[in-house]
Amino acid sequence: MECVVQGILETQYVDALEVLLQGLCGGIRETLKVHEFYLKSGSNMGAVNSEVTLCCSLSGPQPVWTVRHVGGPMRGAASEQLPALVRSVFEADISNSGLRFMYALGYKLDYEILRTGFSFCFQKVVPITVKVSCICRLPKLHAIDEAVPVTPTLHLVEVFAPASADNYAEVVAAISSFAEFLAPLLHLSKPGAFTGVVATASTAASSLISRAALK
Amino acid sequence: MPVKWLLYWQPNAGQVSSQTLVDVMKSIESINGVRLGRWQVTASNHRPIQRDQSMPLPPEAARELLGLTFSEVPSKHYFVLRGEHMVVETHSNMQNIMEKLQLYRNRLTIFFEGYQYQLGDFQVKAGRAVLAHSENLRGIILEVEYVPVSSIEQTRVLLQEFVDLVQEVVAGQNMLGRFIHLEPNYSDYNLQDQYGWQHTALQYITLMVYFMSSQRS
Repeated sequence: MECVVQGILETQYVDALEVLLQGLCGGIRETLKVHEFYLKSGSNMGAVNSEVTLCCSLSGPQPVWTVRHVGGPMRGAASEQLPALVRSVFEADISNSGLRFMYALGYKLDYEILRTGFSFCFQKVVPITVKVSCICRLPKLHAIDEAVPVTPTLHLVEVFAPASADNYAEVVAAISSFAEFLAPLLHLSKPGAFTGVVATASTAASSLISRAALK
Repeated sequence: MPVKWLLYWQPNAGQVSSQTLVDVMKSIESINGVRLGRWQVTASNHRPIQRDQSMPLPPEAARELLGLTFSEVPSKHYFVLRGEHMVVETHSNMQNIMEKLQLYRNRLTIFFEGYQYQLGDFQVKAGRAVLAHSENLRGIILEVEYVPVSSIEQTRVLLQEFVDLVQEVVAGQNMLGRFIHLEPNYSDYNLQDQYGWQHTALQYITLMVYFMSSQRS
């Protein structure tokens, strides 16, 4: 399981967010460059229609392939009150023939994107990961060198942490309190609940950048 | 990773029995094989789930999916697609994902299990192949590996000589039969000379398929 919140940030304030995250984390910034394949099961294949994502991380010296399956969100009145989405997620590394394998299981490519940006990991109650990414579409099949940002003026910010049935309330609370640190720059909410950009972002970003310049 | 050869016991006449495995283990111990512990390999055969029986499956979908887990590397799971000539290594979490996707249904599972021995630079695993749930004996197997070298071609002569030695020792125990090496064509699966777990997965799947087809015939 994982708990997740997300928000959007104007591209011009991404540097400021990076300064803030660096200050909060003090840890290592990791570069993100991931080719993501969104796959749909073939007709009549399997007991139910299914979707799965194959991710190829290109930020290291060798490509790393991972299969990712995101289940439905936790339901019920109590979960609706939570400030973060709780959902089941399974990830598994797979060897380089991952795409050929998924095609051999009857999957078809629905669409593909290139995600570029950076991430930070924080050790709070649980390890919290923040991903700041620009989502790019590929004008031609697998042509990542020709990737074009879908929304050049906006970046996607996602904050998530692993959870279990026993501790998800605690993890949601940890994510929620972490989100408050970022509040001057962006709103974070459950995926699908669009909250827009924040009015204070410009002032907060200027302050962060000028403080960073003084150091 | 050391090169492994997987062999099965071919009796001169009749069927294999559990006593065969006992005799094989006695043979290994008679040449000072040091028993290290137990091992298990789980091999499963899956068939695609066809949602609507009146409609065909997608033509590109594999009609058979074979999965493998080794007790020595519990964090990994291996898949073999024979029709597509593909061996895939995944994290063991992939089994959870496959359960969620509900694409393939388990048809049968075979356990390969037994004891592991050390003989100098060689390691030997003696074991039985049984159907899960029914404990129905399908065969007796021997896995031999030469620890220092990872090249299939460089170890070929050495492993053959070692297997010949084992055959002599086994014959000395009045066992009527011999071990047969069933080597898959690795290059068909794009597997190189440097040996790895994917090679081992392919050997076990080849043997599983052999046991199942010999049962039918």
